[in-house]
Amino acid sequence: MEIACVIDERLAISACPGRSGGPRPGRAELPDPVEAAAASEAMVRALEGIGAAVESERTGEAFFALDGMRGLYGGSSRGVLEAARRGVGNGVLLAAGPTRLAAYLTAAKWPRPAPIGALRTRLGAPEREAEELVGALERLGVETLAALARLSADQVADRFGPLGLRALRLCRGEEEPLRPRVPHEDLLEEIELPEGTAGHQLDRALELLVDRLLAAPQRLGRTLLGLRLGALLAGGGSWSVEQGLGRPSASARVLRNVLLPRLGDLPGPASALSLRALGFGPPASDQLELSVGGEEPRRRRLGAAVREVRAAQGAEALLKILPVEAASRVPERWALLTPYPELL
Amino acid sequence: MPGLRRLYAPQRARVRTDSAGTPLEVDAVAVEAVREEWLVEDRWWTPKPLRRHYFELVMADGRALTVFRLAGAQRWYRQRA
Repeated sequence: MEIACVIDERLAISACPGRSGGPRPGRAELPDPVEAAAASEAMVRALEGIGAAVESERTGEAFFALDGMRGLYGGSSRGVLEAARRGVGNGVLLAAGPTRLAAYLTAAKWPRPAPIGALRTRLGAPEREAEELVGALERLGVETLAALARLSADQVADRFGPLGLRALRLCRGEEEPLRPRVPHEDLLEEIELPEGTAGHQLDRALELLVDRLLAAPQRLGRTLLGLRLGALLAGGGSWSVEQGLGRPSASARVLRNVLLPRLGDLPGPASALSLRALGFGPPASDQLELSVGGEEPRRRRLGAAVREVRAAQGAEALLKILPVEAASRVPERWALLTPYPELL
Repeated sequence: MPGLRRLYAPQRARVRTDSAGTPLEVDAVAVEAVREEWLVEDRWWTPKPLRRHYFELVMADGRALTVFRLAGAQRWYRQRA
């Protein structure tokens, strides 16, 4: 088993002394967390684009197994790594090793023998707990990963508990298998707002985003499992929140109802709003009906008609007028034409 | 807003004016009367302030038309308002 590690130092928080990187206070030249997440996503997609099954649990950092890919790239690990390099560009660190930890140590250019501090970000534990463990090991004179690997499991378990045992296993090259994510399609809608927008206008913008997301042809009639609502703040910086839907849905009403309250968490006026689908469920027609009656048959027929027109003429074929700023003195701000919502 | 269509978006218009800046002709159609004129100032708190001088006109062909001139520029637009 050979594992490749890819680190974008501009995005990943480096724990390696003497090396910098990662979004952090005071590093104004670095992208903010939302931009960093988008760039990290682009990196993972680039790797998936060369056929890699990628595990990425930290921003700016990705792992994938080289086994099974060599045949695609000249039969050697080097060929795969070169393909990965071409995919993600030159600004990243890239290395391979028999385990995630070994690949990471090489990619992040940790000195050898690797100091125990290299474990800080590898334990999957809260920062404070990892720091306490590393601090305690250093105080006891266990200063390198090799020194920790030489200790017995009993000694480590007695003194450091489960987290210590996890550290020991990592140092001995015992890791869980990679957990690659399922590659997913990107469905994203964005709206630039004319200026710092808040309150009722934001609600309107969200309504518009939901309609556009549901009308996007790439959705192919599928339901959504979750959403990420994001905003660029007028005062600088950005904000985002993930929202599960509880059950798959493609109902504009359901989406609006779960997302609208989240707008209340926005820390300030926004200059742009975005909505990203985080997963797709079965097509809407597969969902169970909760209630039938009243206007439902008419609504369903109308929904079918909307889908039919849209399929024949495109997503922009059916539009509705969405009032935005009815009280504005500038007429072009009164209303927008937005995709007619898909009725279910 | 990419992919969105605004209603009532301004359209460029060719306007001939008198010395006081009052429209005499819009897209080669004579102006019969100026029914109203007003000034809109908005977004003055942003880097792109908006200042428009609106005229509601009655045209020689009987239509009612609203046009505006951007303050500080000689560009004219027609707009349903």
